[in-house]
Amino acid sequence: MDRASVNFAFRKKLNQVLGGEHHNYCYQCAACVASCPAARYATDFNPRMIMQMALYGFGERLTGQDSPIWLCTNCYTCYERCPQDVRPVEVIIALKNMAAQQGTAPESVIKYAEAVLETGRTTPVTAVVDRRRQELGLEPLQKMPIEEIRRLTEE
Amino acid sequence: MMDAGRHPRIKLLTYSEIEEISGFVGNFHVKVRQKARYVLAGDCTACGECEKVCPIVVPDEYQQGFSSRRAIYIPFPQAVPSAYILDSRNCLGNNPLACGKCLEACDKKCIDYDMRDEMLEFNVGTVIVATGMDVYDPSEYDEYGYRSFQNVITSMEFERLICAGGPTGGHFVRPTDRKSPKSVAFIQCVGSRSTNGRGNPYCSNICCMNTVKDTLLLHDHYPDVQCKVFYLDIRAFGKGFEDLYRRSKEAGVQYIRGLPGEVTEHPETGNLVLTVENTLAGRIERHEAEMVVLSVGVIPRQDSEVVHKLLTLSRTSDGFFLEAHPKLKPVDAPTQGVYFAGCAESPKDIKDSVTQAGAAAARASILLNAGKVRIEAITSSLDEELCNFCNRCARVCPFHAITFGDKKLALYPRIIEAACMGCGTCSAECPTDTISMRHFSDAQITAQIDALLASNPQEKILTFACNWCSYAGGDNAGISRLQYPPSVRLIRTMCSGRVDEDFILHGFKLGAPIILISGCHFADCHYINAVTWTQQRVEKLWTKLDKLGIRPERLQLEWISAAEGAKFARVMRELEELRKQVTKEEIAETVKVLARDTKPKITRKQVDAVVEL
Repeated sequence: MDRASVNFAFRKKLNQVLGGEHHNYCYQCAACVASCPAARYATDFNPRMIMQMALYGFGERLTGQDSPIWLCTNCYTCYERCPQDVRPVEVIIALKNMAAQQGTAPESVIKYAEAVLETGRTTPVTAVVDRRRQELGLEPLQKMPIEEIRRLTEE
Repeated sequence: MMDAGRHPRIKLLTYSEIEEISGFVGNFHVKVRQKARYVLAGDCTACGECEKVCPIVVPDEYQQGFSSRRAIYIPFPQAVPSAYILDSRNCLGNNPLACGKCLEACDKKCIDYDMRDEMLEFNVGTVIVATGMDVYDPSEYDEYGYRSFQNVITSMEFERLICAGGPTGGHFVRPTDRKSPKSVAFIQCVGSRSTNGRGNPYCSNICCMNTVKDTLLLHDHYPDVQCKVFYLDIRAFGKGFEDLYRRSKEAGVQYIRGLPGEVTEHPETGNLVLTVENTLAGRIERHEAEMVVLSVGVIPRQDSEVVHKLLTLSRTSDGFFLEAHPKLKPVDAPTQGVYFAGCAESPKDIKDSVTQAGAAAARASILLNAGKVRIEAITSSLDEELCNFCNRCARVCPFHAITFGDKKLALYPRIIEAACMGCGTCSAECPTDTISMRHFSDAQITAQIDALLASNPQEKILTFACNWCSYAGGDNAGISRLQYPPSVRLIRTMCSGRVDEDFILHGFKLGAPIILISGCHFADCHYINAVTWTQQRVEKLWTKLDKLGIRPERLQLEWISAAEGAKFARVMRELEELRKQVTKEEIAETVKVLARDTKPKITRKQVDAVVEL
């Protein structure tokens, strides 16, 4: 890995989207990986490697099709436990935003996003859901304030 | 400790606390409270009869709570003096109904329940601060389960368990079932190198080698124990350290690079499972260990605040005491005649502590043998004629080198020149110019300003740089061949605290477009807290300039350290940009405003003197 292969342009862009350079302090201790619930089940998801790739500026692999970043569940455990305040989850969120902007986010994620915009929920509420809730003695789901959500997202 | 206790010329005051230190180098006056130990230390033969009959049982602090002691006890086997001590918080007292058993048991009748704390007072020439350190408490790392699982211990507790004089007589057993563990895991950097709010940002220096030593100890005692060390970096930097590290690896200790994310306990066996990414192999692994040792860091003494106030010392942002100079005066405190030894100054191992203690003793004896102390000629002097007893000088002096005056008693503030370090804050703060600094007098500095702004002042950036940091930062920029605009003109003062309001106004009056005051960063100030006065003064000046209609941006304040040559050059380039924005008309307006506004200062005394004539 020579210096010439580091993509500084991508790093610069990531810093802008992230609004900081805190991930530069990553010392690869892997406390994030060992704490990560996603990494335990998905062998190709490794927040430490993602931080390393971000520092090398491997933009295509991080924000392209089949990027590992979409396996992150945003649980923020890495944020809590990182000793260097690198905030891996925030870097991953920034990468997700960059991917979405260039149109390389997975279709399923786009569908979820669209569903939130339209109905205010990620999953459609069907008759089955209502019936199950009734069986479990739960109150029926309330209507989402779609107008408010739309206004918020427009801003 | 024993040797020190026996030495005819060393007076050891144990179980004592310093209440007050006054005076200055060569003439410190110390008040010590010697706490009542309720046992006549000179008579006690440490026979131990009292301890046998004492009914009170409390956790033994020295053994980390792994065993118990009585209310009358010897803190640890090598304690000096070798005499018992009565813990008054737990003792039932000499009430025949309640107890008094130890007094009955003591043949020499050397227990005195009515003993009082004693106050001792004496004069000393120098003071060495060797107050040591505390150990980090890893409770806040809840993922390691120090508070939840008994078999997770700290390196300090490990030390007691493996020690022949420890609670188990040197048999290394784990707390849950008191059996020798077959596998032990060590987690490094607990509470160190962490900037996320848990633990401390600094490296604690000793933990790596302590763990390496611990693994070898374990291997020597129990050759079949499997040791695993989870680390980030092993910092084996000292003489023979790398060799010890290698020996530990040869003994079969596994070093795994990666910090465990979680420690969980097996409910039946009490064994612990560590989830970790082995970063060198790039895979997530689970390791089972019968015991986990957290290699905890070192923190400043919790009561270092007391010492800090007693001796007016500075502390770094970490909380350890700040030395007078990191390279050239590593054992001297900023206050003359005070020296540091050991972990009070920074985390260090035994060898470094002994080295520093030797240096501190030598530094102190140089002063003591000289009989007379040679001090820097740069001190302040006070002209009583002009003093109006405002006592501002005494309040701002970081070294308490100025005594308070009293108008009613006609007692003028007095400068103790032996304690004065020459920062000049008093002189800058004095509203009547009563105090002048030798070698950095008002007249000298004003003359420099006059000379530097004599021709084309609008093209000059007038800069006041402190001797220790910013001026050295300029030097650094020069040595590093960094380019910065030639319009910069430097005036050196010992401290940025010396820069008087009058200097700034004088500079602007002579047509300076931009003036910079630069000093050390807050933690590096060589005059304890003199920079805080600089900051306050500049903030006041900004308001004043604003009121006069002068843009406050024309007075800049920057903290540049001796190592920041690049920052020095950058600041100067930025100032050059600012300077270009200052127009000739603006300067002319400033000169006009200041000529109208600044009247010559005449004090009441001067008027009186003239009237008398």
